[in-house]
Amino acid sequence: MKRRGEKLFIAAFLAPAVLIYAVFVVLPLIQAFWYSLFDFRGTNLDRMDFVGLKNYERLSQDEIFHRALINNMMLLLGALAVMMVLGLLLAHAAQSDKWWGKALRSIYLFPHIISIVIVGILWSFIFHPTVGLVTSGLKAMGVQDIPIWMGDKNTALPGIGVAFVWYGIGFVIMLLSAGIRGIPQDIQEAAELDGAKSLQKFWSVTWPMIWSVRRIVVIHTIIQALNTFALVRLMSNGGPSRASEVTLTYLYERGFEGNSFYGEATAIAVVNFVLVMILSGIVMLIFRKDPSGRTA
Amino acid sequence: MKIISRILGGLGLAAFFAIVIVPMLWTVMSSFKTVAQIATDPWGLPNDGLKVENYSKAWTVSGIGDYFVNSLIVCAGTMAVLLPVAAMASYVIARYKFWGREALFGGFMGGMMVPQFLFIVPLYVLLTRIQMGTGVRLLDSHLGLVLVYIAFSLPFTVFVLTGFFQGLPEELAEAARLDGCGHAGVFWRIMLPLARPGLVVAGIFNVIGLWNEYNLALVLISSKENFTLPLGLANLTNTLQYTSDWGALFAAVVIVMGPVLAVYWLLKEKIHEAMLAGAVKG
Repeated sequence: MKRRGEKLFIAAFLAPAVLIYAVFVVLPLIQAFWYSLFDFRGTNLDRMDFVGLKNYERLSQDEIFHRALINNMMLLLGALAVMMVLGLLLAHAAQSDKWWGKALRSIYLFPHIISIVIVGILWSFIFHPTVGLVTSGLKAMGVQDIPIWMGDKNTALPGIGVAFVWYGIGFVIMLLSAGIRGIPQDIQEAAELDGAKSLQKFWSVTWPMIWSVRRIVVIHTIIQALNTFALVRLMSNGGPSRASEVTLTYLYERGFEGNSFYGEATAIAVVNFVLVMILSGIVMLIFRKDPSGRTA
Repeated sequence: MKIISRILGGLGLAAFFAIVIVPMLWTVMSSFKTVAQIATDPWGLPNDGLKVENYSKAWTVSGIGDYFVNSLIVCAGTMAVLLPVAAMASYVIARYKFWGREALFGGFMGGMMVPQFLFIVPLYVLLTRIQMGTGVRLLDSHLGLVLVYIAFSLPFTVFVLTGFFQGLPEELAEAARLDGCGHAGVFWRIMLPLARPGLVVAGIFNVIGLWNEYNLALVLISSKENFTLPLGLANLTNTLQYTSDWGALFAAVVIVMGPVLAVYWLLKEKIHEAMLAGAVKG
């Protein structure tokens, strides 16, 4: 009798969360893979024609989608390189107990905490060809032939990359700081006793000791770069002439903006997701072993 | 050598401070300028008195006040359901043994890793179908958005709260049970009040995330009167090319940015902790 009461209690307490989660997260997740195999449009929800892998085939021949994928990858590689280097430098600086270390610790997450929408708007102001900070600053310095940034196909994507790094760097600094803080004090002191200079100490102690945090940083950046949406939509909307299109802005266009090719839009989402999984998998393989011989 | 690297380090650090702070400072400054000065003198201080009316214009004419209220409603509605529902589930997961417990926890944790856009089309279709079947308006409605926000916030909230409940002492629960408290009584009267710090962390973290949320709201909300702040702000930027009221727009940005930064400033340590925990887990 007592046992039955407990079971009832467990079920009753789990039910609301499980129900909401199953209906609005688990079910759509399964449906996503399913829908991507159909010609399914918002104009008639009752009609779903099974087309197998047709949607994927179409994407594999779609030049706009290729452009978008390339842009995602460029964003990823560029941002990752910059954030790893800057992140390490700043994470080291943030360890200091001097006033600037404290100041750094209190501000570096600012850009990450304000909405991504604000970041997008802020940077589209900064790159604005007339009122923008960058253009007027360069003009004041006497630079001529200033590009129109978001309106120029050579500068649109790099400009978005700048905003992306500005938004993401704080989180990377936070992760790397935690990694550096986690290195046992005696190992650091031993390296110093051995007479290691700071750069030597970095390569022989810090870099190998924070391997697991580096892995998190890389995977986190993969996820962020492939799921970039708001920044692009607000700063350039993929333009000019698709020069800064990314997969998710293209998904939004195919699925919601005037169109409603639901089958195709979910196929884009699935490709994007699988790509994140493959890239993360590769990173896990590369970073599988602890270089210093300890287990994870 | 040492001096050179010191100087370089100092300059680099100063540059980083400038890159973080200047855009925000510039926004605040521009929000007090006239439209004419914003266009001609982007780097200057406000030279025509402080244009406080930019703020009142942003709040009323540009509709930021309405969007602010909408965001409040959506955040409050989500928290009112999310926190108790997640706390109940987390408590049971943390302190009871039952069949499928590991799988259930794993299922919730998995949700932290799946990107929103993978769900978005099926979710939209699902809401459309429920709406057609029941007549309850879920698309372009705060109710629909709140339901989706609750579901999407569950994984992180369950993660934080389960950790909290696991850390609470067992003796208290046993004592209460001896006093004749039922399972539910122990939860509501003893455990939930003890878990208040966990609820606060989960609440703050979720509110910041939802206050800023754009992607789901963009797809699920379509009419202006239902816009949350991020949607309203993005829309304001779009219409700017017709109105070119830069002053009000900068003021609107400050109105949205301000509260979040203030909350962050007050609760830095807690937010760092929660973000780190989420990142390492996810």
